Amino acid sequence: MSSPVIDIVDLHKTYASGVRRKKVEALKGVNLQVPPGEVLGILGPNGAGKTTLLKILLGIVHPTSGEARLFGQPAGDPAARRRLGYLPENHRFPTYLTARQTLDVYGRLAGLASDYRGEQIPRLLEEVGLASWEDTRVGKFSKGMMQRLGLAQALMNRPEVVVLDEPTDGVDPVGRRDIRDRLRSLKRAGTTVVINSHLLSEIELVCDRVLILNRGSIIQSGTVDELARQGTGWRVEVTQLPDGFDASAFHAEIEESGRSLIVEDGKPESLNALIDALRSQDTLILSVERHRASLEAGFIDLITAEEGGS
Amino acid sequence: MTTLSGSLLLTFRELWAMRLTQAMLAVATLAWLLLSFALNMDVVEGSLAAVRIFGLESTPSDGVYNEETGEWVSQALSLDKFMIGINTFVFGAAYFLGTLLGLFATMPLINGFLEHGRVDLLLSKPLSRPRLLLGHLAGVWITVFLLSAYLVGGVWLSLSVKTGVWMPRVLMAIPIITVMFAVMYSVILTIAIATRSSGLGLVITYGLIFFSIMLASHEQLVPVLSSTAAAIFMTFYHVLPNFIEVVTVQAQLVEGEAVTTWYPLISSLIFGAVLHGIGFFWFSRRDF
Repeated sequence: MSSPVIDIVDLHKTYASGVRRKKVEALKGVNLQVPPGEVLGILGPNGAGKTTLLKILLGIVHPTSGEARLFGQPAGDPAARRRLGYLPENHRFPTYLTARQTLDVYGRLAGLASDYRGEQIPRLLEEVGLASWEDTRVGKFSKGMMQRLGLAQALMNRPEVVVLDEPTDGVDPVGRRDIRDRLRSLKRAGTTVVINSHLLSEIELVCDRVLILNRGSIIQSGTVDELARQGTGWRVEVTQLPDGFDASAFHAEIEESGRSLIVEDGKPESLNALIDALRSQDTLILSVERHRASLEAGFIDLITAEEGGS
Repeated sequence: MTTLSGSLLLTFRELWAMRLTQAMLAVATLAWLLLSFALNMDVVEGSLAAVRIFGLESTPSDGVYNEETGEWVSQALSLDKFMIGINTFVFGAAYFLGTLLGLFATMPLINGFLEHGRVDLLLSKPLSRPRLLLGHLAGVWITVFLLSAYLVGGVWLSLSVKTGVWMPRVLMAIPIITVMFAVMYSVILTIAIATRSSGLGLVITYGLIFFSIMLASHEQLVPVLSSTAAAIFMTFYHVLPNFIEVVTVQAQLVEGEAVTTWYPLISSLIFGAVLHGIGFFWFSRRDF
């Protein structure tokens, strides 16, 4: 196996805030390895430590203890950032710059040569759909256009690792699809992508692996299927349910339509008991199928269980 | 080098986008255009006999009574003194107004630089934090240098061509304005880095400038203070920037006199260097 491009070992971060320097543990011993070419999604409720984790990786925040390495170099090393692209959450470009000037300035800051910038800027503006806005001041851009420009900025140096914090925030559905397509093409090109997003459907559609952070710790990590499967059950469709039918006796829940049930524990025994009960009351069963909960449902279940257990 | 130029360019563009920078440039242009075209001087035997501004003539004030001849003699102003007078006025305006307005104008610049969503994007680029901050600072210093060179240099050139009297020493005002601006700017920047409030930094900087008026009169104040108060006052005098007293250094330089003491300038420079050091240290250490 090739060495990970991102290697985080026992990472801790404690913030001290206020006059009394009240301590808040943002990260509590996070371990993470990301191999080259993987698209990793980071999920978690607000304040889970997602942005802190990304910022440590980029050298924007200093860890309290532990180690974060990028391409084998310490995360704060500027040389490591040469091969990285970053789109921060709520990024702000100077409003007086045009789209082209913005990419030029940030391209310079990335250490890119003039000729290279000259080639990349029109191509990227075209790719993110801002070619006709290249000489418009950024101050006039909508939130969605700013996100597209931010993405173009993150890709200026053809990075090997792209870190995106809420990339589709404020973007309309068409724009979101475009960004998704762009992420897929990055994946095809072998680029490692780390996405922090509240839009679980986005993560579900793009990511190879998902990591769930809560209260500074990784509580779950796996593929989208693995995480969603934790909520896998059976869906039974009927013509009409008998009056007063008690679904809970079979670990099942009646859906809103009143004509289907979900056997939540996923056990064949529960399913068969339910079918027997329905048939004994002459209920006509139309279909029985595997029901996979969405990533969102899996995520909510995990976080709820975590909160309940703590 | 490209990364540093990016940081510099960003600061230049930001400064240029500010209305106040453009206004300062316009005022400087107006000043030397006025001196170039609207000011006419009658020079008689190396002295200024009359000055005309927009065609309105002004002769040197009341004559002097010569007791030997029993005649009133017109009091002509030497060209050197006229040059020194104008240049001192321009220096004073640039030094006080320029610094106060310049510091006010750069407040949003620092806010923008340290703003969430801006600073983290800058820090994610492959340049070290000291290099990033240096690019920002150098952009400010160079802009102040160019603006003061444009004003002071323009006025000096215009007057020198008109009078034929060339006094390059007045150009010392340019580095002095730049350096003292950098010293005062270091206060805003360092406080803004530590507290994320450039407004607080500006208030403290203005406070230091006004306090330096008191520091400048230390020779008169210290004898009337108690020994403890005098010791505290003199500690402030040695530690804090002597913004006002530096004017004396500049005045002596312009008049071609030997500078009595460089201490106000030197102690201010040391203050600025220490503050910059603290600013760089905090910028390198803190989380954004």
